[in-house]
Amino acid sequence: MPMPAPKPSLPKPSLHEVQALLQAAILNADDHVLAALTDGAHAPRHTLLGVYRHAYTARLIEVLTRDYPLLRGYMVDDQFDRLADAFISAHPSRSPNVRWFGAPFPEFLATHALASGHVQFAELAAIERAVADAFDSPDAPVLGLADLAVYAPEEWERLTFSLHPSVTLLEGSTNAFAIWRALKDEEPPPTAEPLSPSQHIVVWRQGTTPKVRLMHDEEAMMFREAGKGVRFGVLCEMLATFDDPGNAPARAAGYLQSWMMSDMLTSAALSMRLRRLSEPNLPMADQ
Amino acid sequence: MQRVPPIPATQELPMTSSAKPPYLGFGLGLRPQHYSDILDGSPDVDWFEVISENYMVPGGQPLRMLDKIRARYPIVMHGVSLSIASTAPFDDKYLADLKALAERIEPQFVSDHLCWTGVHGVNLHDLLPIPYTREALDHVVARIGYVQDYLQRPIAIENVSTYIQFAHSEMPEWEFIAELARRTGCWLVFDVNNVFVSAFNHGWDAQAFIDNTPADRVVQFHLAGHEHNTSHIIDTHDALVPDEVWELYRAAVKRFAPVSTIIERDDNIPPLSDLVAELGTARAIAEDMLPELRKKRAS
Repeated sequence: MPMPAPKPSLPKPSLHEVQALLQAAILNADDHVLAALTDGAHAPRHTLLGVYRHAYTARLIEVLTRDYPLLRGYMVDDQFDRLADAFISAHPSRSPNVRWFGAPFPEFLATHALASGHVQFAELAAIERAVADAFDSPDAPVLGLADLAVYAPEEWERLTFSLHPSVTLLEGSTNAFAIWRALKDEEPPPTAEPLSPSQHIVVWRQGTTPKVRLMHDEEAMMFREAGKGVRFGVLCEMLATFDDPGNAPARAAGYLQSWMMSDMLTSAALSMRLRRLSEPNLPMADQ
Repeated sequence: MQRVPPIPATQELPMTSSAKPPYLGFGLGLRPQHYSDILDGSPDVDWFEVISENYMVPGGQPLRMLDKIRARYPIVMHGVSLSIASTAPFDDKYLADLKALAERIEPQFVSDHLCWTGVHGVNLHDLLPIPYTREALDHVVARIGYVQDYLQRPIAIENVSTYIQFAHSEMPEWEFIAELARRTGCWLVFDVNNVFVSAFNHGWDAQAFIDNTPADRVVQFHLAGHEHNTSHIIDTHDALVPDEVWELYRAAVKRFAPVSTIIERDDNIPPLSDLVAELGTARAIAEDMLPELRKKRAS
């Protein structure tokens, strides 16, 4: 909702009035501020005010182009600029750091009429966003195999894990991942198509480099639950319901190892053993 | 509601007595495209200025690179979003992040622009002009005092390129800035290109800006290029420093030098070697005018 332009208390508006007027001029094409300006040495005031108006939109489109370069290249004609314009109007920046301006763009694309019928736009944008976020997400330790050696075999059942803060797990209802990969490799993208069931796309940072790969259903389920702090023993039970129960622990250990090799985990800890309700006098928890 | 307390117009702030930042020589704005060339080679650059906001992020490569470059070079932090002249309250998280970054990299000094970037919770991501009134001066003086107290260090304020002027301004820009420095003890970044751009757009004398800026407060020069549209000049910082800005630089060197100097390229980023060559021009001009700089460098 644009702020209503205040009436200038000319000839001497206050600093706050000046700022409200100029902001209204830039955001809402309101011309009241012109009464508070002088003409330039070589150009009339409305031309010079136009520099700020033009710069505002141009700068933010540039930011979106920088944040979503593959989406920009994927869209045809002025599709990207029109959607970017609509986004800029609907989502004025609320952050001092322009780094975060384009964060809601994927969600915007998911619902905007101009992107209707192109679900892959929002999903492609979500991958690019996750890559950008992984790039400068918080630093954190990386869990290695040696870190797990301190736990006795009988303790593994109670182990819980923390995902690296750079991790994002996305759901793709289209082949957006294939489109993303083709665009990244500078190859022609495949025709967009819906997928059933959906794909699981994991984005994280290894060292200083963002990584993207697919996870199949079972691995993604375990990864998501591990991220919620579910114990390793319970994760193995979940895998047993997914596929061959006989080798579920081995599959779980395999996933765990691959995540550790890829720097996706930050830490492991022993979960508290919960009290049995039939033993009311026991301590609430022991560790 | 503005939470910066008003400060009487005549009050001097304690930061005035802080030691002047040292002369750093000739530097560049640090740009990610040049990280590997800087770390793999030994470019003829004395120091780097970083855009503070680019490193006010949670972690990852930007901060890692900054730490590595900081280990080898003096750094100045230069922000674009402090919004020192805004009538909106300061963004607490922004100030906290700025302070945390300053404590992490211990810059030679922290700077931002004499401008505002938005009100009503919106950020326009532009360096917007103010009327040069006594009301605005009192307001900005109070805000600079607040930031200097919060950061526990004096800041430097840069003149911006402007396209519009307010009819009710009560003093020229240089008088406003001089008074700001006198009352807050802040340092000044003198952007030579910005002076040139604003002087053309508004029809005032760039030399008057130089003559009326307090020489003892200027701690840095910015040099950059612009786009001339005949009826007005747009400050793009995306091109070579043009002859007319070099000419103004000579006048600035004559009055203020020695002053730490950078080429500030924000767009159309060329190879590092091109910027180092352009920086050589700035160095040569200053050393021709001030031979002691050449001797100091040789030693």
